[in-house]
Amino acid sequence: MNQKFSCTTCRNADAPLGAFIADLPMETAHHRMESQSVKCGFGLQGVCCRLCANGPCRITPKAPRGVCGANADTIVTRNFLRAVASGSGCYIHIVENTALNLKNTALALSAHGGELKGLNALNRLGEIFGITAADPNKKAVAVAEAVLADLHKPEYEKMELVERLAYPMRYKRWRELGILPGGAKGEVFHGVVKCSTNLSSDPVDMLLACLRLGISTGIYGLTLTNLLNDVLLGEPELRFAPVGLRVIDPDYINIMITGHQHSMFVHLQDRLTDPDVKALAVKAGAKGFKLVGCTCVGQDLQLRGAHYTEVFDGHAGNNYTSEAILATGAIDAVLSEFNCTLPGIEPICDALRIKQICIDPVAKKANAELKEFRFADRERLSTEIIEEVVEAYKARRHKVKLRLCAGHGNDNTLTGVSEVSLKKFLGGNWQPLIDLIVAGKIKGVAGVVGCSNLTAGGHDVLSVDLTKELIARDILVLTAGCSSGGIENCGLMTPEAADLAGPGLKDVCKKLGIPPVLNFGPCLAIGRLEIVATELAEALDVDLPQLPLVLSAAQWLEEQALADGAFALALGLPLHLGLPPFVTGSPLACKVLCEDMKQLTGGQVIINPDAKATADILEDIISEKRTALGI
Amino acid sequence: MKHVIIGVGAAGVAAAKTIRNLRPDDEIVCISTDREVHSRCMLHHYISGGRSLESLNFAPDGLFESPRLTWLGGVTVKRIDAAAGLVHTDSGGPVSYGRLLIATGAVSAVPPVGALRTAKNVFGLRDIADAKAIAQAASGGRRAVVVGAGFVGLDAACGLLELGGKVTVVGTADSVLPQQLDEHAAAVYQARFEAHGCAFRLGAGASGTESDPAGKVTAVLLGSGERLPCDFVVAATGVRPAVDWVRESGIEAERAVKVDEGMRTSAPDVYAAGDVTGLSGIWPNAVKQGEVAARNMCGQSAVYDDTYALKNTVNFYGLQTLSVGNLAPAGNDLVLTREDNARYEKLVIRDGVVKGVLLQGDIGNSGFWQYLIKNKIDVSGHLDNIWRLSYTRFYGLEENGEYRYAAAATV
Amino acid sequence: MKRIFIDPGKCDGCMNCSLACMNAHRAAPVPGTAPDPGATVEEQSVYTLDLTDPTNEARNFIHADGKGGYLPLFCRHCARPECVSSCMSGALQRDQAAGQVRYDPEKCAACFMCVMNCPYGLPKPDQLTRSKVVKCDFCVRLAAGPSCVRACPTGALWIEEVAADTPDLEDVK
Repeated sequence: MNQKFSCTTCRNADAPLGAFIADLPMETAHHRMESQSVKCGFGLQGVCCRLCANGPCRITPKAPRGVCGANADTIVTRNFLRAVASGSGCYIHIVENTALNLKNTALALSAHGGELKGLNALNRLGEIFGITAADPNKKAVAVAEAVLADLHKPEYEKMELVERLAYPMRYKRWRELGILPGGAKGEVFHGVVKCSTNLSSDPVDMLLACLRLGISTGIYGLTLTNLLNDVLLGEPELRFAPVGLRVIDPDYINIMITGHQHSMFVHLQDRLTDPDVKALAVKAGAKGFKLVGCTCVGQDLQLRGAHYTEVFDGHAGNNYTSEAILATGAIDAVLSEFNCTLPGIEPICDALRIKQICIDPVAKKANAELKEFRFADRERLSTEIIEEVVEAYKARRHKVKLRLCAGHGNDNTLTGVSEVSLKKFLGGNWQPLIDLIVAGKIKGVAGVVGCSNLTAGGHDVLSVDLTKELIARDILVLTAGCSSGGIENCGLMTPEAADLAGPGLKDVCKKLGIPPVLNFGPCLAIGRLEIVATELAEALDVDLPQLPLVLSAAQWLEEQALADGAFALALGLPLHLGLPPFVTGSPLACKVLCEDMKQLTGGQVIINPDAKATADILEDIISEKRTALGI
Repeated sequence: MKHVIIGVGAAGVAAAKTIRNLRPDDEIVCISTDREVHSRCMLHHYISGGRSLESLNFAPDGLFESPRLTWLGGVTVKRIDAAAGLVHTDSGGPVSYGRLLIATGAVSAVPPVGALRTAKNVFGLRDIADAKAIAQAASGGRRAVVVGAGFVGLDAACGLLELGGKVTVVGTADSVLPQQLDEHAAAVYQARFEAHGCAFRLGAGASGTESDPAGKVTAVLLGSGERLPCDFVVAATGVRPAVDWVRESGIEAERAVKVDEGMRTSAPDVYAAGDVTGLSGIWPNAVKQGEVAARNMCGQSAVYDDTYALKNTVNFYGLQTLSVGNLAPAGNDLVLTREDNARYEKLVIRDGVVKGVLLQGDIGNSGFWQYLIKNKIDVSGHLDNIWRLSYTRFYGLEENGEYRYAAAATV
Repeated sequence: MKRIFIDPGKCDGCMNCSLACMNAHRAAPVPGTAPDPGATVEEQSVYTLDLTDPTNEARNFIHADGKGGYLPLFCRHCARPECVSSCMSGALQRDQAAGQVRYDPEKCAACFMCVMNCPYGLPKPDQLTRSKVVKCDFCVRLAAGPSCVRACPTGALWIEEVAADTPDLEDVK
């Protein structure tokens, strides 16, 4: 017998990571899959209702209704709306904090002097919002306030920026369907109320509410968060960067960051490279401080890595890689502010004496110290955090065995892709890409977004397999979310991956020196994909559903992903999911999502756990759209 | 019908129980040298003091008190007169039978090394008398040499270590339990025994003994030249079927009593089951043989066809192992192993059929392996997920609700 | 004899049967203690069942069939039980009249030959001490009969009367 925790780890698209996890002496999510492999069918189908004291009620042939009389359609859509509302709340929280941080930063800069990092991004936003202030800091304050004002409107007042940000054809359709959202926080509130006990029972009405939440989530939580961050943190710039566990350098004091709110780290990440702070690290025996990227905030930092080359080591991995990153022993502290911070990291942090600090109370981890981020306290908080991290380093490093994995990942993943940097790369407009699509060198575009879960074939398995299938069919893949982390660690975002593409796409990639899969970064960047799609549609003067564009959240994990998915459907895009979102117990919900949605918004849900079969379906859809466009 | 059963071991009791269930009105007479029904597999628990004599009794409660069942304990059979249908014993008159079952088991086979066969302080571990003798010897002197590192040897060592004895186990193979374990799994047990104070001399058997004038062995000499001083010796070197008087009674027997697939001997109405047949040395098979014999004695037509005997479980010091089949790979056999901090597991697969399985550490819910191995079920369709295999991949239901293997259908 | 019948096609994997099994085999309540004061074993509420008690394991197992369905593994209390044949301590005995295989933990010597011998892989050593066998007892202590059957919401489990012995049953290979 050896030191391995157990031999029961689940499959992994990333073989070196899989081997690393399988050898660990501690338990991870990958080990727990086996003991959780039998799932309750009622839960899977969404027909378990726990909304009242008569429950849980479950639907069977002999019991087609709950005690209250709710049938499977009502139970399923209530549960679904609850999940979408919750997921929307998460993203709205993110954009609210981001806007607030931009506003506070701009106010501070106004008072003490200084310049924001992304003035071009600010000017573009000002143009969209119709804000013309000459002073950039004042403009930034006005932009942030416009966003906050919309978020804080009641549900019965429509948000004002939707029309400015949305593609006009889409906006028109949304208005026709009556799904233009009121204040985004109000929409979450409204959604949660709608699905409470013995309120709504109309399944279609609840699904339409999901679409409203999808629009507010997408335009504010996704799109605007990126654009505000571009102002605050600097715009993405194309570059090649190392990824995977190899980025961890044990000579430094390493802080793993995880979450979704990059704007909360601004002050700290700048401080970490100041000489006085570096001196603390040197005094403790390290070369300095490094941030190790994990989950979406790591993706966001990677995306903007050109501005943070000194402090940022690189992106190590996605949600279900976080336990492995910590297990290397070379991480001294975890700084988290949101999901996907798995509870499973806690025992590992305990065992390896890793300091856990949370800076947002919405994601207070059980054994983490809460240091709630408040802009006014940023100096003090950064100082305290740095001191504690240094203490953790000193207390643990000589005691903990390192278990590095230098062979994991690669050194040349293309990152920094955004709607702006990509267009710039193409020469300032989308025509080259449109020409390639028209010529059929690139058949279409697929966004492979969302998370990793361990159930759809194993860690990153379906996302990676599907991506390979799609590029082999000359379909350009764009990623956003934890899918990016898995796909990049598997090497599909290196120029060499062009060899895996079909002849057309391969040729394009070789000529341009780019990979066949372009990494837009965090899940928030689904908003950037939407901008790309919108600009392509604009150039062609068609509506979004007409584009040869498909989305896949192959390994969607959480409620946020469902809110994202609702946005995709509102945009009228075909959306593939590897696992059903707990709705199959309702024939009506399935019909609305998979069939009727085509008439409502132009979108549709495709549920399929198989990579090849899914790629076939998505390729067919792209072909149909090409035919309809006459290309 | 009057059934006479000689021996109250696994086969004899199984037969008595089966006849009792099938023919409640038939008369049963059990004859045994043993005065107590006891399980041979638990003798080490008796030596250690962990179990009382009564708690070694494995027979169903009330079986020997049931009507029309007589048990002649402490009675040894001398000869059978098959022509007359009579059993002659060492006490009282002959016992007549309509059907007879010989289930007298086996006796320890001690090798002709030094004084091992003759010395008074050398014991086998076969029955309660042996266990009592060993326990008594252990109270007089602490140093024991156990010759044989198989099951019985380790049982004896385990019991003696519990008593605080200083035990050295001698084995000819390079590892313990060579019939059941590979070296990797064996090393884990050896380490656990050593942690409890046991010493091992493996890879060289006993080659001689030294005795004192009273005829007691005082040291065991090894092939390596080493001399192991001792107060007594346990000879755990195997058994041989107890056939002497059977042969003398004119019933066909060589090393063991010869039986057909219905457990019938060469003599009419005389059956044999258990170790005396030499078919298998393990408990479940002895029971099966007793049941088959009993069914035939009751006029049913039963066949002993579940003859697979390469199977065992090991449980020492809180570590369990399941070992079924042949673990020594040959040719192009696929050998799969996996290991973590609490388990070591191994599969040997030949042409899509599992030849051997070893599960150490967690043996729960693993009974299906024996079925797959002994029935040569093709598992080639399950190789991707072989460690997660279970009976559910062969799931089938009988009309009466029992399970059956729907092997071919689901592969 | 009575046997628990299974229709795997009706199983939804909710594992209510496993919870019910645990609930039926949890330690008897200490009289007068919260949260089920004075409750008998039969009355103990699943609300108060400790789902993480390592000493209380379910004796039935629900497996996914890999195709979206479930295969319930329940002790069949076989007419010719292999577990009983392999038991060298007498701890496992079949009550012929009731048609149930009974287990006496006091007699058990933890050899686990029963674990090896059940062709369907039902018995297992207890996970905590590995000194006892965990196996279905047909809820003999409960007047209402097997708890799993009563807990099944889909009708995948039910009780049927079958012949107590099947003398002509072909020998199990």
